[in-house]
Parts: sequence; C-alpha cells; structure tokens
Amino acid sequence: MTFRDIPDLALEDLDRDGAIREAADGLPRSSRGGFLKVVAGGIAGAAALGRPTGARAALAKGDIAILNYALTLEYLQDAFYTEAERKGALSGPPARLTEVVGAVERAHVHALRDVLGTRAVARPFFDFRGVTERPPSFVRTAVAFEDLGTAAYKGQAHLIQSPQVLAAAVGIHSVEARHAAWIRYIAGTLPAAEAFDQAKSRPETLSLVRSTRFVVARPRTKAAKKPAFTG
Amino acid sequence: MAGFTGLESVDDPASRDRFLTRALVAGGTLLAGGALLAGLPRLAASAQSPAQDAEIFNFALGLEHVQAAFYREAADQAELDGDLLEFARVVAEHEREHVGYLQEALGGSAAAEPETFFGAATTDPDAFAEAAITLEDLAVAAYNGQAANLTKGGLRAAATIISVDARHAAWIRAIVGRPAASQPVDQPLSRAEVEAKLDESGFLREA
Amino acid sequence: MRAPGRTPLVSVAALALAAVGAASISLAIDSYGDDPTAAGIASASTRAPTLADPLDPAFDVPAPVELRTSAYESTWAPVKRAVTARSAPSRASAVVARLDRRTPEGTANIVLALARQKDAEGTLWIRVRLPVLPNNSTGWVPRSALGGYGIVSTHLVVDLGDRRAMLLRNGRVAFRAPVGVGTASFPTPRGRFYVRNKLTRYRNPFYGPIAFGTSARSATLTDWPAGGFIGIHGTNEPDLIPGRVSHGCIRLRNEAILRLAQLMPVGTPLTIRA
Repeated sequence: MTFRDIPDLALEDLDRDGAIREAADGLPRSSRGGFLKVVAGGIAGAAALGRPTGARAALAKGDIAILNYALTLEYLQDAFYTEAERKGALSGPPARLTEVVGAVERAHVHALRDVLGTRAVARPFFDFRGVTERPPSFVRTAVAFEDLGTAAYKGQAHLIQSPQVLAAAVGIHSVEARHAAWIRYIAGTLPAAEAFDQAKSRPETLSLVRSTRFVVARPRTKAAKKPAFTG
Repeated sequence: MAGFTGLESVDDPASRDRFLTRALVAGGTLLAGGALLAGLPRLAASAQSPAQDAEIFNFALGLEHVQAAFYREAADQAELDGDLLEFARVVAEHEREHVGYLQEALGGSAAAEPETFFGAATTDPDAFAEAAITLEDLAVAAYNGQAANLTKGGLRAAATIISVDARHAAWIRAIVGRPAASQPVDQPLSRAEVEAKLDESGFLREA
Repeated sequence: MRAPGRTPLVSVAALALAAVGAASISLAIDSYGDDPTAAGIASASTRAPTLADPLDPAFDVPAPVELRTSAYESTWAPVKRAVTARSAPSRASAVVARLDRRTPEGTANIVLALARQKDAEGTLWIRVRLPVLPNNSTGWVPRSALGGYGIVSTHLVVDLGDRRAMLLRNGRVAFRAPVGVGTASFPTPRGRFYVRNKLTRYRNPFYGPIAFGTSARSATLTDWPAGGFIGIHGTNEPDLIPGRVSHGCIRLRNEAILRLAQLMPVGTPLTIRA
C-alpha cells in the first residue's frame, strides 16, 4: 500500500454557489455560535436536561469545563457518523467504520452527558453540507475529526484535576487514536505518521471546529405570530 | 498538589480501604490520626514526583525495548511482505524513537535493554500480527494505568506516546482485517498486570 | 527524528532526576545499573509494588450504541438561501418553483428531503417536497441551498372521510382526535405534505392556543393573503368538530391540539387522505 499525504484538517469541497454566508436570518447575534462561545468560556450550558447530577464525584469546576469541551467534540463526531449512517451514501470499509465508530461516539456522548447531568452543554445543531453524503469528503473529514479528537484529549490531560476523571479521559483518548489510525488506513494515508503525537490546545481546537462551520444555529421554526391560514 | 476530587467514593467502605492500601503501599503522605480518612480524598493514587516519573518511565522503557527489538527484527529479517513489512518498518522507527526519548530522559538510570526472543513472531504473518497486537495493546494499557501516578509533565510526555501505540494497534488490526477499534474505552492495567502479561508472552529471555 | 517540542520535557525530567537525591532514585539505579539483563525487569515484578494501581474512572462508558434507524424516519432541512427548485437534478432542467428562506410567518422555510442524486459535475442535489401549488409538488435543489438535517419519526395522518387525525410515532398510534376539515367549496387538499412551523402566544381564539403551519395550500382560495396555506389549529367552536366546517384548515379541539403539540415536532410529514 502506498500512502499519500492528507492535508491537515482537510475540509470538504465547498460548493461554489454555497458561498456559505453567516446566516443573516434574523437570529440574534448571541445565539449564533453561542454554543461554541459557551464551551470556550468554560461555563456549562444553561439548558437543564432534567437528568440527575453525575452519580459519583462532585466535580471541580475546571473538570466540568473540560468534560463539556470533550462533550462538544463527541457531539460533533456522533452527529457526523450518525448522519452518515442514516444517509446511507457510504459503502464498504467507510460504511463499516461509520457503524462501529459511530456506535462508540454515541456511547461517549451518553457517558459524558450522564456524568455532567444538568451541567452538560446542550446538543448543538449541525449542518454538514453534504459531507456525510459524499464518500471522499466524508473520509477526509473523518480523518480530520479523529486526529483532532485525539489531539484535543491529549491537550487537556494534564489540566484535569481529578485522577478519576483523568482515568476516564485517558481511556477514551487512546480509543480516539485507534479511530484515527483506522480511518487513515481506509483513506490510504499513514495511520501513524510520526513517533510522537502532538496535543492541540482548547482555543486551537475550537477554532478549527468553528472554521468548519458545521455547528450552526438551530433553524427557527416557531414564532409568536398570529396565523394567516385559510382558517 | 492539585486537589483530588474523587470525594464520594471515599464514603464507600470498600473504596476507602483501597485508598488506604494504596496510600500505604505508595508511601504517600498520610495525615496523623483522625485526619487520615478526611485527608485521603486529597491524595492521588500514589504521590506524584519526578522520582516516581523516573520509575514509571523505566517501566515503560522496558516495554518499549521489547517493541523496538520486535519490530527491528521483523524489519531486518524482511520475511513478512506487503503491508505487514511496511508496518514493521514504520513502527520500528517509531519504537526506536520512543526508546531513545526515554533513555535520554532517564540518563544513567535507564533500564538496560532486556534480552528478547521472538521466534516465528517476526517472520510468520499470523504470529507477527498477534504479537504486534499484544505488545501495542499492552503498552497502551500500561501507560493508561500509570496516568494518575505521573506528574503533569510526565503525563504530557506519556500522552504523546500512548496515542501512537494505539494507532499502531489499530493499524495492524486493519491490515489483518480485524475490527480496528470496537471498544468504547481502553482499560488500564497495573504494573504487575503488565509485567505478568509480558512474562506470559514468552518474549523475554530469562538469563 | 525528534519531533519539535520534545526537548523541554526531556531536560525537565533529566534535571528532576539529577536534583532528587531520594532513596527511590538510588533504588532505581541499584535495580538496573548493576543488572543489565532481562532479570532486571523480572526482578522488578517481585519487588514490593511502589506504583499504585489504576484508579476507577470517574465515569464508565456504556456499550457502543447501535443506530436504530426506522422506516418511519423523515428528514427535513431549512432553505439556507433563496433557490430555484427544478424538475431534475440539473441546472439545465425546468424550473418548478422558487423557494425563499422564510415563511410568511417569519420562520425558517423548511422542506422535506426525499432523495439525493449527484449531477454530471458531481454536485449533490436533493429532491424536496415543496410548499407550492399545485399541491404534492416536489423538485430538486442543490444540497448547498439547504441547511442541516433534522430527523423526525412521527407522521400525522388526517382522514377527511372519517374526520379524524392520527399521529404515528415509529409507526405506532400515539394520538387520535376528531377534526374539522374543509367544506365542499373550500376543501382540504389531499396528498402528502408536512408541518412547517408552530405558532404560539398569539391572541386569537378562532385559531385556539396553538397553530401549526403546513406546506399544503388551498387550491380554491388562491387569492388568500400570505398564500392560502392550510393550518392545523385549535378553535373557539369545538361543537363543530368533527365536521366539514373550515376553509381548508384542519381544526382540533383545544385540548387536543395542546396534546398534539407535546408529541409532534415541526418537520413531521402530513398525509391527508380522502
């Protein structure tokens, strides 16, 4: 197998006419991208999920922020693989990986939401702009996501205060690295390009996530307006 | 040191005993008399220190030595072919760098390279894949098992290696057509468990 | 080749080793310095363990979660930019309708996504159900004109003959209620549609407490302001229900529309049968 290079965080082909403008659709500025701002600020989302607080430990504020940051990235991966599986545009090894890795990312989301309880950030809305429906774009983006997830967990490990939270985090970090190697293998690029993997900081990671513009404001489908239907 | 906030479990008698045992065994800081249990939540699994990092990295170096020798032999003998040989060559280089990095960090106290014996594991494709999977998974479990024992600096360093070994583990599985990553978390192993598994492998040649 | 950023960590560790004169360091040297054989590692396992066992993690991760897609799922998407829907997935094909980003109520204009196809240039097109006349129209738009997908597993079925509405959730009946429908002169259209918005907090007893906008349009009241869309709403004349009483809208008694609103998300497909 000859390996080829994949550019760092390769994004999917943007349709020319997509010219993805920031949705000037009348949404208040604060709600657009508010999700990412909330996570970057380290404050748990306001949405009460009606779940019990994490069963075991009382978590330190910093650890809550880190777990919510991890949850952000897991939401992104979960949504990506879940939509790809639903859309059914993949076949062969990428389809198989999507089923297996998607199932794991969904489990990661469940685990993090469970431990965070009411402090968990809300699940955002995503627009993958057809990436989940175009196999080559999907594979490239999956490589970027898994490499990013690995680097992101790595970047937080030394900041985690609770050794028990750390124990959980390292167990997930190495699994993300396995995913990364697997999708890279499928993509035809070196599963492990270097002897040492570098960490990515939270600001850098969130900036990369922002740059994909996959996280979008939920479309507004409700209004406090008098109906003008035929009656 | 940074607060340990695994608080609730201390109220559970079973885990309290565990914490106590660990603290004693680790020679960690014990507070006098009645403050003992109240103080335990503040401890890490065993007191972090540069000296302990050294011990952990020496333990890891032992594993890295075995890996490096394994892949070096497989690459040199070149009886594997195709994807397997390419894997062996690339990973041999990675493991060589891991060994070098740890040796430099440990200086004079670096563990010596053990004598190893791999037999057909470096030439037979099936045996090679099994051995690679075993060794890579073992390294991941070993490092993950020590994560809480390492200082923050040690953890940052270890983390750059752990994910690479995890990549290796998935890679070899992908080559031989196994599910490359089906588990949601990687389970850690204690040092004793790692050493037992290494003994079981038969790769270490007793003097 | 040493990766960048390696050196600082290495020298920190080396310095730490040099600085610490603790017994544990001598122990390490004693163990390995004089015993450069495999026995060095073997003997380590027979020493009293000094490294603590791994901790229980703060949380467990459950078993991997298989996706249970059902045949009862539908997909909707907002119209992200004004676009022309065409009869085939190609820019050269006939125009079917123009889609705006907003509904007359000011909500995001959503469409149901029905199918997918790439054109000769590799551009992705999606076939969508359109909120236009003639009713039951579909057309193709570039994927780039749509936003992110929403998924629902509900389906509202309105039977004009029986004057009943039924909400299915994953294929099972989750709600039933009698409905008022259009008169012979202003019939409720038949076919396939979808719920496209939800209106609340208006003060108009004629429409009850909550109203849903649909993609269906009156074929007779074509001059109606704001397009003559069919709504699903409450009423201030519950005694007329069930019956053929409206200008096309589907009316529910107020307690029923409130129940329905708990169960039916926007984007739910709507089938109206004779």
